Amino acid sequence: MMTRTFNFIDFLKIAVIEVAIFFLIMVFFNIESVWTLVAGLILVVAVVVYAKVWKRQFSSFAEIFSSNKPAVLGVLLVLLLLYPLVGPLMIKQNTYWLLTLIQTGIYIILALGLNIQLGSTGVLNLAVAAFYGIGGYTAGLLALRLGIPTIITLPMGGIVAALFGTILYVPLYKTKGHYMALVTLAFGLMIVLALDNTEFTGGPQGLKAIPEISLLGYSFLTKPGGLHFYTNYYYLTLFIVLLAVIISYRFYNSWVGLTLATTRDDEIAAKCCGVNSNIWKGISFITGNVMIGVAGALYAHMIGFISPHNFSFAESLLIVAMVILGGLDNILGIIVGTVILWILPEKMRVITEYRIFIYGILLLVIPMFRPRGLLPFKPRKYHPSVVKVKD
Amino acid sequence: MQNNKKRIFYSTNLEMNFGGLYALANINIEIFENEAVGLIGPNGSGKTTFFNVITGIYKATGGTFCFMDEELLGREPYDIAKKGISRTYQRSRLCLNLTLFDNILIGMYNNQTAGYFAALFNRKKLINEVKAFKEKAVGLLNVFNPDLTDKLFNPVGGLPQIDRRRVEICRAMAGDPRMILLDEPSAGMTPDETAEMMDDIKKVRSTMRNVSIIIIEHNMSVISSVSERVIALNFGKEIARGTYAEVSNHPEVKDAYLGKEV
Repeated sequence: MMTRTFNFIDFLKIAVIEVAIFFLIMVFFNIESVWTLVAGLILVVAVVVYAKVWKRQFSSFAEIFSSNKPAVLGVLLVLLLLYPLVGPLMIKQNTYWLLTLIQTGIYIILALGLNIQLGSTGVLNLAVAAFYGIGGYTAGLLALRLGIPTIITLPMGGIVAALFGTILYVPLYKTKGHYMALVTLAFGLMIVLALDNTEFTGGPQGLKAIPEISLLGYSFLTKPGGLHFYTNYYYLTLFIVLLAVIISYRFYNSWVGLTLATTRDDEIAAKCCGVNSNIWKGISFITGNVMIGVAGALYAHMIGFISPHNFSFAESLLIVAMVILGGLDNILGIIVGTVILWILPEKMRVITEYRIFIYGILLLVIPMFRPRGLLPFKPRKYHPSVVKVKD
Repeated sequence: MQNNKKRIFYSTNLEMNFGGLYALANINIEIFENEAVGLIGPNGSGKTTFFNVITGIYKATGGTFCFMDEELLGREPYDIAKKGISRTYQRSRLCLNLTLFDNILIGMYNNQTAGYFAALFNRKKLINEVKAFKEKAVGLLNVFNPDLTDKLFNPVGGLPQIDRRRVEICRAMAGDPRMILLDEPSAGMTPDETAEMMDDIKKVRSTMRNVSIIIIEHNMSVISSVSERVIALNFGKEIARGTYAEVSNHPEVKDAYLGKEV
């Protein structure tokens, strides 16, 4: 048996490595010259290759990390909480990167929402952006037209997206596989067209001047301790991302995850075990839409301006790519996939004309070497105590 | 001879019509408590169709069938599974990416009490339930092949054919069914493996009290050693029933398998 005692040396190693990576990432944010960036990327690739070739040295570190998960996550959380305080000292374009990180967070929520549908259940939802938009427009309209406080509009974004999801599920559950994807695709296009042509939602002009979030009288436009007001949104987004991760983790490691996975892999076998697969597919579809809708509401309040253009089909494809590239049904994989697909292109803005080209190559190369996503899904453990072998 | 036993399943004039082709016609089968019945017949005689009809995958076009005094005609598969009928498949229907434990656990779906909200808010209840079910899964695997318990958290895809079938049988047994349908458990196995499989099926009967088994087989040694009664089908119709000796010597059965003399 492994010893589960808390090892201070291991903890120090973890902390040092994580802090080092944290600072390296901030240095990475600061890089402005093309060649330094290329050199940096080559260095990262070299480290990955090194880890592959000299497995033994690397695996001792990997072992420390995998056997001290609470410490790893704890240090990571502290670093994420400290980032807005350290950022202004370290990063030249701090505001820009703060916003980029918030957007990454929003995409993580979206990708985790889609993962419940696509990864866990195999329902390919090509209308993610539409539900994202429904969440955003709901929050925007409620706040603009009715002056409803944001503590209500944020969850309402999720609830209304779930309602639309329920309506869409009526025709959806009669179809299977590719046809299911087609139905959602049509719905996505429909929503964008409808938003474009409705006076009430502002037509192609969209909604302007959506009020900022204010919770319990605290306006998110106030600057906490002289920091940029995005700091407020950073913490809120971090909180919602954590919530989304916990919900995803708990679903995955439970009857819900198992039921959905069996439905995905073999619907007939699931039915003959007593699973009402249509109901469960619906539950997963609607649960995913709640998360997607909340992300939309958060985005609308933060940016203050949304238009149908924000929620086009291309946006859906980006989120689908994040989930598939990161690894279906693997929460960590999806977070990594989202970070790569959102932060790397932002960074590559310095190489302007080749940006999209390199992005495309990335999309081609990753599936070649990792056909099941960056991190393929792992055996369901439910809880560490379940796996433990009895002696 | 069967009169003292309770009848748990019967079908009356069960009929399955695929656009003019009768895959099943006039099937009247009775299954009693705690017995093993062999279902034989040449390819295309309607054996698997019979399983698909009584598990609800196909909807019968005529006649009816009852299980535990309840008419189940036209019910959905998950409804029928809840009543206590479980099955295995001719071509294994395990989720190869998922672990052995996942595959067996889903068989206990009807016994679970910690659903959607427990997953989010009542982890303690969920974990305790999963732990209890793990004990049960380990117990079942130990009956068949104790080596498999070490692989409980490995994907099923890495197992050889016979172990996959064992996992599938464990899944069928896990939910405490009253009737298990085994669809060609020895399909695609070597003679040695078939012999092991025969022992396994006997183990099913000795571990589980109060369960009836219907078994489809082409391998007559399995049928003769496992089942107490045999029913023979051909072209969707019943042609013979009785003990193995009676059925195997029935002229129509011989004709069906070997062809008629011209």
